[in-house]
Amino acid sequence: MKEVEKVFIGGLKEELMEDKVIDESQLAPGFAEEIKKYGGKDVMTCLQCGNCTGVCPISLKIDYKTRNIIKCCQFGLKKYILSTRWVCATCYRCYEHCPADLNPAEIMIALRHIAVREGIIPPFVKTAATNLVKYGQSVRPDEEIDKIRRELGLKPVHTHDPSFKSVIREIQVLVHASKYDKLIGIQEEVKV
Amino acid sequence: MINPSNSYLYFFGCVIPNRYPGIEYAVRWVTGKDGFNLDVKDSQEFSCCPVPGIFYSTDKDTWLLLASRNLVLAQDERRQILTVCNGCLASLLKATEYLQEPKSMGKVNRVLAQIGKKYTGVPVRTEGKRRVFEPVKVRHYVELMVKDFGLDAIKEKTMHPLKNIRVAVHYGCHYLRPTEHATFEDPNDPVMIDNIVKACGATSVDYEDRLDCCGAGGGVRSHVVDLANALTLDKCAKISTAGADCIVTGCPFCLLQFDNAQKSLSKDGIPVMHVAQLQALAMGIDPISLGFDTHHVSAHSFLRKLKGY
Repeated sequence: MKEVEKVFIGGLKEELMEDKVIDESQLAPGFAEEIKKYGGKDVMTCLQCGNCTGVCPISLKIDYKTRNIIKCCQFGLKKYILSTRWVCATCYRCYEHCPADLNPAEIMIALRHIAVREGIIPPFVKTAATNLVKYGQSVRPDEEIDKIRRELGLKPVHTHDPSFKSVIREIQVLVHASKYDKLIGIQEEVKV
Repeated sequence: MINPSNSYLYFFGCVIPNRYPGIEYAVRWVTGKDGFNLDVKDSQEFSCCPVPGIFYSTDKDTWLLLASRNLVLAQDERRQILTVCNGCLASLLKATEYLQEPKSMGKVNRVLAQIGKKYTGVPVRTEGKRRVFEPVKVRHYVELMVKDFGLDAIKEKTMHPLKNIRVAVHYGCHYLRPTEHATFEDPNDPVMIDNIVKACGATSVDYEDRLDCCGAGGGVRSHVVDLANALTLDKCAKISTAGADCIVTGCPFCLLQFDNAQKSLSKDGIPVMHVAQLQALAMGIDPISLGFDTHHVSAHSFLRKLKGY
C-alpha cells in the first residue's frame, strides 16, 4: 500500500491543509451551482458529519476523504477538486448513510462531468468511448476468447456479425447528436 | 393488449461474452431446456448498457440515450431484460427511472427519432381511450432465480449437491445500492445469493466485511489499478481466513477484479465464479463447459474437492 498512499497524499492534502491560508483568487464562486447543474444536490447542505467518510472503502484506505472533497466544494475550491484523481468507486455507501440526504456519490459524478468539460479526460474514458463507437461494447473483443467460445459451442458474439454495423451506426448517430464525440475527443472515430 | 409476460431477452453485456464465456454458457444452460426452461431469447441489437463508470460519470445525456436504445429493443419485443451483471442492472434500471420523467423521456425521444426509435414503456392496459404504460422491466439473474422460481425449485434441480464446498459470497455494490433502484434485498443484510448457494448444497461461510466493495467500480480499476487491487486483496485475505474454497458473485465485473487482482499473489488465489456457474455445477453440468480456463485463478483445487467429477 505504501506507493499508492504516496501518490494520493499529493494534490489535495498537502496544498490545502498544510498551506492553511487560501487566497481568495483561488475560489470559484458559483461552484455549488455548477455541481447542481450536473445532477449533484446542494453541497451547502452538507453537515460535515463525516458518515460518508467512515463508510467509504476508498477513504478507509487512502488519504482521500469524501468529507474533505465536499468541504472544498462548499468553499468553491474548484481547481483543487478537479486535480484529485477519480477514485470514487460509486458504491453508494455514503448515500445510504448521509443524514442530509446529499448523495455524495452523485456529487463525485457531477464533479467528473465538470472535469471533462474543463478538458480533464482520463485516458480510460477515451478508450471505453472509442470501443463503444467501434465495436458497440466498451470492452475490446478478444480473439483468444472467441476461440474458446467456439470450443464451448457458443455462437460468436453478436457484435461481430456484419448485420451489427447498422447498430454501430445508430450508436454513432446518438453519440454525435449529444456531442459526446466532441466532448471526449473521439470525432475521428465517429463517421456520421 | 398484451400484458408484459414472463418472457425475457438475455442481456450479457460486455464482460461476459468477451472475457468469461463460461458464465454465458452456464446461464444459457441453467435457463435453457435442461434447466428452468425459461422463455428467453437473444437480441442481435443490444449494445453496451452503457457502462455507468464511464458514461453515467461523464455525460448523463449520452448515457441515457444509449441505455434507452437498449430499452426500446426490449419494449418492442414485449419482453423483460434479463441481466447477469450488476453494472448492466444498475445502468438500465436507473435509465427506466429517468424515463419516468415526461420531460426527460421527451428529450430522449427527440434524439431517438433520428434512428427511428421511440421509448414509451410497455403498454399494459387501456383506461377508456388512454393506454397505460409501464417501464420496461429490468431483472437480475439472482433475484429472478429466487423470486420467480424459488429456492425449492433450485434445490429440486440440484443433482449433485456441492456438499463439502465452502463458498464466500460477494454481492457487489450495484446489486444492493442505491436502494431506490435495487429494491430486492436489504442492502445491509442481503440473502439471495447465500440462499442459492445453500440450495446448491454448499455452505456459505461468513467473513469479515462481507459487503465491502471489490474496489473496481466507478472507473477505479481502469484509472488507478493499484488502489483497486489493494482493496480486493484486503477482501481476499479475509475470505482466506474464513477458509473458503471459492468466491461466488453475481457480477462479472467484480469477478474480473477478484480474478485479476489475485494474479500478483505468490500463492494460489481463491477461485472466483459466477453464481450461475456454481448452480450449473450443482445441476450436474460437465465442468469443462464452464470455461474455467479463461479465469486467471485456476479452479483446479476447487474442482478436485468436488467429489464425483
